[in-house]
Amino acid sequence: MTHIDRRSFIGASAALALAALPRAVCAQGGGPIRIGILIPLTGATSQFGATMSQAAQIAVADINSAGGVRGRKVEVVIEDDQSNPEAAVRAARKLIDVDKVVAIGGSYASAVTSAIAPLCWESKTTLFTASGADSITKLPHQGYIFRTSPTVTLQGTRVGKFGVELGCKRMFFLGPQTPFAQNYIDIISVIFTQAGGSGSGLIYEDRKASYRSEVDQALRAKPDVIVLGGYVPDTSVVLKDLYRAGYAGKRIGLSFGVNQKLVEAIQPDVGEGTYSLVPSAEESSQAYKRLIAKMKLNALDTYSCQVYDHVCLAALALASAGGEATGTAVRDHVRGISQDRKAKVVDGVDEGLKLLAGGGHVNYDGPSGPLEFADNGDVQGVFFRYEQIQKGKLAVVRVA
Amino acid sequence: MFTEFLQHIVNGLIIGAVVALPALGLTLIFSVLGFVNFSIAAQMTVGGYAGWLVNSHLHWSLIPALAVAFAASGAIGIIGDRLALLPMRRKSTAHTSLMVAIVSIALNLALENAMRFGFGSDLNSYDLPVSRDLVLGEIHVGPQQINNLGVALLLAIVLAAFFSATRMGKAMRAVADNPDLARLKGIDPQRLSNLATFIGMGLAGIGGALLAVDTSVDPSTGSRLLLIVFAASVLGGLTSLPGAVLGALLIGILSDVSLTVISPVYQSATAFITILLVLLVRPNGLFAGNSGVRK
Repeated sequence: MTHIDRRSFIGASAALALAALPRAVCAQGGGPIRIGILIPLTGATSQFGATMSQAAQIAVADINSAGGVRGRKVEVVIEDDQSNPEAAVRAARKLIDVDKVVAIGGSYASAVTSAIAPLCWESKTTLFTASGADSITKLPHQGYIFRTSPTVTLQGTRVGKFGVELGCKRMFFLGPQTPFAQNYIDIISVIFTQAGGSGSGLIYEDRKASYRSEVDQALRAKPDVIVLGGYVPDTSVVLKDLYRAGYAGKRIGLSFGVNQKLVEAIQPDVGEGTYSLVPSAEESSQAYKRLIAKMKLNALDTYSCQVYDHVCLAALALASAGGEATGTAVRDHVRGISQDRKAKVVDGVDEGLKLLAGGGHVNYDGPSGPLEFADNGDVQGVFFRYEQIQKGKLAVVRVA
Repeated sequence: MFTEFLQHIVNGLIIGAVVALPALGLTLIFSVLGFVNFSIAAQMTVGGYAGWLVNSHLHWSLIPALAVAFAASGAIGIIGDRLALLPMRRKSTAHTSLMVAIVSIALNLALENAMRFGFGSDLNSYDLPVSRDLVLGEIHVGPQQINNLGVALLLAIVLAAFFSATRMGKAMRAVADNPDLARLKGIDPQRLSNLATFIGMGLAGIGGALLAVDTSVDPSTGSRLLLIVFAASVLGGLTSLPGAVLGALLIGILSDVSLTVISPVYQSATAFITILLVLLVRPNGLFAGNSGVRK
C-alpha cells in the first residue's frame, strides 16, 4: 500500500486549497454570477425538462447580450434532479457549495422542492420554484422561496369547480403519494359536497406495474368523475386500467399527468375525452411571443416560461441591488423589480437591465405572467387552460 | 365481500405472472452460476424495447415480438456477462459471488442509462389495442392478462421439461450441483453458463415485453420491479424453478389481498414483511429442495 506521510499530506492539501482559491475569490468578486437551474431532465416528471433547460439558456443569452448584471456576465449551471428528491439534494449541494450560485431556479416536483428548500434558506440562496404543494411556502424559509406556479389549493379548487360545472356528482381522486395528494382529495371533496355531491379518494404507491385493484376500489364508489393526480408514468397505467375496467365517466387530470407526453404514450381510445387543467403562461404577452420565437416553437408550457423568469428575476434583482451578488440580495430585491406599481412595466429582461443600470425602477412582467408575489412567496393572478384529449390530440376547451 | 376478495386474488395472479418470468431467469442464473445477477432488471427493459421496436415500427404481432425480446435480452445478457461479470468471476476470492452481484448492479445502471441515452425517457406503448375486460360472474379479467399468465406458465413447463428430459438440461443441473465434478465428467461449464445466461436473460426479456404490452416501456420499466422479482426468487428458495413461479404468484396475491385491509400506499411493505416472516420460519425459502435446477 502507498504510504502517505503527514508532511506530504499537508503539502498536497495546501496545494489543493491554493488551486481552489481563485474560484472562491471569483465567486464573490468580479467573475460571472452563477445561477443554478435544478430541473428534471430524466424520470417521471421530465416532460418539460428539455424546454426548461433551453429556456434557462435563452434567458442567460438575453441577459448577457444586454451587458449582463452591472457589467458582470451571468452563467446558469444546469443540474438534473432525476425527478428524485435524493438526487436533487446532491445536485443542490453541488450548486450551493461548489458552484456558489446566488439562486436556484427550476425545481419542479413538489417532493424535490421540499427536499432542497432547507438547504437553500440555510445557505441564504434564493429558491425560485415551479412546484405546487401548499406546504412549500409554509416552511420557515425566511423569504428565500418564491413560487411562480399556482398552489395546489388554487388548482384543486379549479378542478373541483370544473367537475361540478360538467354536471358530475360523485368525485373520486386517484393519485400517488406526494406532498399534495391528500390536499387535493380534501379540497375537491369539499367543493363537491358543497354542490350537493360527494367526494373521496385513494392514494396509491407509484412505480407499480398495475393499478387494477386501485381502479376496482375507485369504481366501487361509483364515481361519475375521476380526478387523476399522478405523473405521466402512473397516469398512463391508471388510464389503461380504467379503460379495461369499462369506466365510462369523466376523467380530469392535471398538467403534470395529462399532457402531450401522455397522449403520445397511450393508445388513442384509452385517453379520449380526458380533461386536463393546465396553468397557462401569459400567452398574449409580447414576452411570451418573443420567447417562443427564440425557441422556434408554436407554443410553450408555463413551467419552461417560469424557468426563463426565474433566471431573469434573479438577474434583475441583483442589478437593482447594486454591488453585492448574494442570495440575500436577490431575496431582498425581487419584489422591488417585479411588483413596484409606480415603476415602468417592462416585459423584456434586456430593457429592465438597461433601465436599472441608468438608476431607474422597473416592474418586470415575464412570459409566465405578471409575477407578483404575496408575503409568503406565492405568486398571484394565474390563468388556466382547460384542455381535452380529442381524437388523440390535446385541444383547448377554454382559458380562464 | 367474497367477490372482492376473489378479484384481489385474480389481480394478484396477473401481476405475479409477469414477475414470474424474470424471477425464473434470476433463479436459473443463480443456480448455474452461483450469483444473483441484478442486471436482469435492465434486461427486462431491453426486452420491452426490442419487442416495442419490431411491434410498433415493423408491425410484427405479439408472439414474434416476444421471440425478438427473448433473443435480444439473451444476447445482450451474454455480452454484458462477458464484458463485466466474467472477468470478476475469474478472480476467485472468498467474496467473489458478492462482488459479482455488486458489479451486476453497476451493469444494470449502465444498461439502463444506455437505453435512456438511446430512446429518451418517454413512455412507449405497443401498437396493440387495449381490450376491455371479460366479466365472468362478478369477476373481471383482461384478455391480455390471461395471455400473460398463459405464456408464463407455458414457459415454466417448457423449462421444467428441458431440465429433466434433455442432456443439456441435465448437464446444467450437474454444474449447479457440483461444478468440479461436472467438469471431470467432460461438461464445459463456460458453455453452460452462457446458455444459462442466455435463457435467464431471455426470460426476463419476455417478462419485460409482456409488462410493456400491459403498460408501456421506458428506461426504468425493469428496475421498478427488480426488488419484487428478487423477493419472488428468494421466497422460492433461489434455486428452485417451480419455486420461483410459485414465489412470484404468492407475492402477487399476498400484496394484492393486503389491499383489503391496508392503504395501497403501504402495499409493497406488506409483501416484504411477508417474506421476512416466511424466511424466519424457513430460511431456505418455501420451495428449496423441491424439483428444480438443483434437486
